[in-house]
Amino acid sequence: MIEIVAVSTGLSEDSTTTRLTERMLASAQTALEAAGATVSTTHLNVRHLAKALTELTVSGLPAPQLEEAFAAVARASAVITVAPVYKGAPAGIHTLFWQLVDDASLAGTPVLLGATGGTPRHSLAIESTMRPMISYLKGYALPTAVFAATDDWAGGAQSGLDARIQAATDQLAELTLALNPGAVAAGTAEDTPAEAPAGTAGESPRATGTRGGEGTSATEGYDRTIPYAGPAEESGKSAITPSGMGERARAQRDRDEFDPEQITPFADLLGQ
Amino acid sequence: MEFGIFTIGDVTTDPTNGTTPTEHERIQATVTIAKHAEEAGLDVFATGQHHNPPFVAPANPPVLLANIAAQTERIQLSTATTLITTTDPVRIAEDYSYLQHLAGGRVDLTMGRGNTGPVYPWFGKDIRQGIPLAVENYNLLYRLWREKNLDWEGNFRTPLNSFTVTPWPLDEVPPFVWHGSIRSPEIAEQAAYYGDGFFHNNIFWPTSHTARMVNLYRQRYEYYGHGRADQAFVGLGGQVYMHKDSQQAVREFRPYFDNAPVYGHGPSLEDFTAQTPLTVGSPQEVIERYAGFREWAGDYQRQMFLMDHAGLPLKTVLEQIDILGEEVVPALRKEFAANRPADIPGAPTHEWLVARHRAGKDPVPGGAPGTRAYADRLAAQEEAQKKAAARS
Repeated sequence: MIEIVAVSTGLSEDSTTTRLTERMLASAQTALEAAGATVSTTHLNVRHLAKALTELTVSGLPAPQLEEAFAAVARASAVITVAPVYKGAPAGIHTLFWQLVDDASLAGTPVLLGATGGTPRHSLAIESTMRPMISYLKGYALPTAVFAATDDWAGGAQSGLDARIQAATDQLAELTLALNPGAVAAGTAEDTPAEAPAGTAGESPRATGTRGGEGTSATEGYDRTIPYAGPAEESGKSAITPSGMGERARAQRDRDEFDPEQITPFADLLGQ
Repeated sequence: MEFGIFTIGDVTTDPTNGTTPTEHERIQATVTIAKHAEEAGLDVFATGQHHNPPFVAPANPPVLLANIAAQTERIQLSTATTLITTTDPVRIAEDYSYLQHLAGGRVDLTMGRGNTGPVYPWFGKDIRQGIPLAVENYNLLYRLWREKNLDWEGNFRTPLNSFTVTPWPLDEVPPFVWHGSIRSPEIAEQAAYYGDGFFHNNIFWPTSHTARMVNLYRQRYEYYGHGRADQAFVGLGGQVYMHKDSQQAVREFRPYFDNAPVYGHGPSLEDFTAQTPLTVGSPQEVIERYAGFREWAGDYQRQMFLMDHAGLPLKTVLEQIDILGEEVVPALRKEFAANRPADIPGAPTHEWLVARHRAGKDPVPGGAPGTRAYADRLAAQEEAQKKAAARS
């Protein structure tokens, strides 16, 4: 099971940030399902956490709904995060969310970045502000991000927004599948062992579906094949192997530091 | 089960009238509060250790505690907390030993790391070394109180050669030690390792977090063979403001809450009381809430209350202590005594510690032979030796 968690900051009733996030979520879900994965999605709007975020900032008290949101981020297989850009930088409360989440929360998690703004002049906010923050949190910020300015919502294929969303979410799907080989093996061909050891899985199923069916003009002509085609030694195509990447970081993230069975023995701290 | 009050000695402007006590007034008020706590029938008074405004808790708590010891008969004197990171363990050993003699054994300590970065360099320390300092310094303190003519060498202070603490602890038994931490599992583990107590301040966070720390400590206490998990020594903080009319309590306390250090100008009083142990209401509401703590903390040994902060006037603080002593604590004593298993110890007193020592039942740090911890340690050592042999 792949869980995609979207963290977006949609501030108005009809928010373009929310709209963009939902399109990205749907596109990522389609790509992953086409590859044979079972997908669930969670969409967190930071607007609903605004008060809790400022309270945690000034008093250290974590509200229950904020703890739930942080837990969702920590357990996500993939994260999509989208912010509105103000004055060349992501809206403050969006940044605040990522500043307050636990340090290792994104360790080994693919993260797709997105932003909206009034004009294309805001588009580099993703690169200058959002990407370094995700890197600090040890997430794998994907090379392609999605920026939508007001003009992009005019519709039609010429805006290219849908194609950009697809290109970006395909990258997200590719990396997510590479990091979670079991997610596909379990859901498809009978001859694929359900829990194939990392790096030895058989030929991966190739996605052939086209999102939205034949009628969606913006997606036409775009190849939805997920490039990930199994371990590098077999396909000669992908340099990513399912094991190794971020495994240690993810183990660290998933460790319960208050579990009596996992605690570092005091003698180790004492150096005896 | 002990009930007491703990203070951080904050000098805060009273938001209802704009007056700020002088340092002198605040220090004198602290002594008055401690004496009043004894008169009201409370069991413990604990002071913080502070080196910076707006706090006038003493830089060395035994100075204040010795003064209070001289003016009281019965109340246990403790700290909240003694800074084990920035205070020389040799001074802690000698100062608290001396205090123990002055106070006739009515002394224990709660170890804390402190959380403000600037303090560390004032004492030549580095906050990045917070945990290693707490580990090494406490290990030295533990040995100083138990080994005469100690030879010692470590990373954070000059070596000791044939050093003996003066004065030696009263009746050969050092003060009981609690280890305080809000969220560091290493400190819960440290408390368990030595068979010491674990104290959670418990006032700024949801109790679900406190419960996880307490559970970790209890499980590890059993692992080290000091007793069953439910026999470990747990202390909790708390915070209340009371009036017989609970709406009046809310009206009176709200301006203090809204402007308080740490959590003021943040969450609403309603959210904070729902999510943390802060209870603002009638004495009965306080009794019901705090009696419920044993459901998630188990039967525990010490409940402390923060009463004198956020600019509350002295008169109000003394009235609150009266309500605590007259109504809340007697009821809580009854509640906590009901169905408490007979083999769960109370809070350690000097007499209890002396009896345990004379019976040869002092906890063995890291676990005595026969415990699971001891067996695990031996196995790990053998494993390491095998590996070393295989390499050579």
